[in-house]
Amino acid sequence: MPPEIGGTPAPAPAAGSVAAPSAIYDLGYRGYDGPRLGRRAAVWALFASSFRATWGLGRSGRAKIVPWGALAFISLPAIVQSAVNATVGPVAGAAAGGLTFDSYLAQMNVLAFIFLAAQAPELLGSDLRNRVLALYFAHAMERLDYALAKLAAILAALLVLTVVPTTILFFGLSLGSADLVQGFKDQLGYVPEIVGAALIYSLLYAAVGMAISAFTPRRAYATGAIVAVFLVGTALPALVRRAGSSIGDWPVLLDVNAIAEGVRHAIFGGSANGVVRQMSLPDTGYFAAFAAIIIVGVAIYLWRYQRVEA
Amino acid sequence: MPLISTRSLTHRYPGDVLALDGLSLDVESGVIGLVGANGAGKSTLLKILLGLLDPTSGEATVLGFDVRREGTRIRALVGYMPEHDCLPPDVSATEFVSHMGRMSGLPKAAARERTADVLRHVGLYEERYRPISGYSTGMKQRVKLAQALVHDPKLLLLDEPTNGLDPAGRDDMLKLIRRTGQEFGIATVVASHLLGEIERVCTYLLAIDAGHLLRSAPLSTFTERTGTLVVEVEEGAEALAGRLAGQGVNARVETARTILVDVPDERPYDLVRDAVADLGLGLVRLEQRRHRLEDLFSQEATDAA
Repeated sequence: MPPEIGGTPAPAPAAGSVAAPSAIYDLGYRGYDGPRLGRRAAVWALFASSFRATWGLGRSGRAKIVPWGALAFISLPAIVQSAVNATVGPVAGAAAGGLTFDSYLAQMNVLAFIFLAAQAPELLGSDLRNRVLALYFAHAMERLDYALAKLAAILAALLVLTVVPTTILFFGLSLGSADLVQGFKDQLGYVPEIVGAALIYSLLYAAVGMAISAFTPRRAYATGAIVAVFLVGTALPALVRRAGSSIGDWPVLLDVNAIAEGVRHAIFGGSANGVVRQMSLPDTGYFAAFAAIIIVGVAIYLWRYQRVEA
Repeated sequence: MPLISTRSLTHRYPGDVLALDGLSLDVESGVIGLVGANGAGKSTLLKILLGLLDPTSGEATVLGFDVRREGTRIRALVGYMPEHDCLPPDVSATEFVSHMGRMSGLPKAAARERTADVLRHVGLYEERYRPISGYSTGMKQRVKLAQALVHDPKLLLLDEPTNGLDPAGRDDMLKLIRRTGQEFGIATVVASHLLGEIERVCTYLLAIDAGHLLRSAPLSTFTERTGTLVVEVEEGAEALAGRLAGQGVNARVETARTILVDVPDERPYDLVRDAVADLGLGLVRLEQRRHRLEDLFSQEATDAA
């Protein structure tokens, strides 16, 4: 039936029963007198829908491949190790070179990086590209609200991605020990590190990813730029060292992952991983770089959203 | 309380482009046509009224709220349909409109219910569950209207709502706007550069040109009868005009087939009838002339210049 705009009642369906014939009536326009929850509820709803979007929920199957694939692969070592731990035993498991809480994210951060490079540009790019921003800003919401809701969404998604594998490892190691209660007690001390390390990586990644993604509606450009920043950050310090520069280890502070590992090591100890092991920088260097990247990244991102054309 | 009120509203874009120049107006409820050529300042005015753009100087209130300080409160009560495309292609109309309802602060269940209501009103049925990328321009315009209506606004701001539509699509959209404004009783501002469309849906007209107010009045005053009768005959227009002039009627030839007759009272009607009969002319048409909006608009523009 072609859409008819008039307010005529729809034809009654053929009534096959003896009951009074029923008809569907166009009720006309009805106003809304119910509750209006206002700005805070709107921002919360935007956060929730954006968080779902980062996991491809409510989207096509293709949109789920990267986020769920990243979660599966980043969790795989924890699952394998939990299985080994349960069958062979903890001592043999550790001896086999399994991952530990202090090395997990340093070893597996490439998956968090893939997640960021794929999802941050999509989270912002779609609204920029399709000019949906004009509608958001025409609602009971400020530009700042929109930007903060999106930032919180990617941060929450990264947190889930980085907390889940070490949490699996936590339960795997606890449940695999001979004495269950003692097992949990042994592992409980790692809970702050599980959450803390995840937070360090997530904050850094979110700040870098969103600051870059805010500048282009083209997903491919944003993804490329994020990849470039991470690659250059990893490659440049090594090149500078090889060139025999006299500025010491400082160029390593261009490497986002080295900063994250440096901060994690400074707070939680354990073994230093990756390039950080070879460096002799003071902890304050890592902390300063960590704070600077987050503050500058978030500031650029929010600044951009105050000015972006809607 | 006026629906919209502005005082000496001026907006200057960077690069010294003057979009609005001391605009003062008061508008009461109704379906208000905002007409002006492209670049006259229509979209700028709408954005200022939404609190999205701070005016360079001057004051404006919408529904009694100040556009500078109370933008959020205004936007909670106003529905806005922008001129440009603004729909994500990968979600369905249902999902999108319901999401926009939540962005206005509606609870989840209410947003879903209202979405079903407004999509039915704009005439989207089964297709509302399909991704928007597969929609025609007409369907997309309906979705844009639906998202502006979903939170039951007190005021609708529609920027060039018939943009890109074919004639049939235009008719549908105009019918929809008239129904929304006049039957649902939602105050509506329709910005358009097409006078013909404004004429068909609006009850009140705001004409702006180069950021100035040309005219603000009920539509009826633009199209009132002029007291002129158009008489079209198959031939002999000059003879008819001459005879009527001889009887003291002010008549002048307009084209080879039509003459214009002033009708200050009932008398000329009989005289025209008698003259046509006496001269044995073939009468084609007798019509009361009305002001055409276009004529007035061009006249006002000339006067203003």
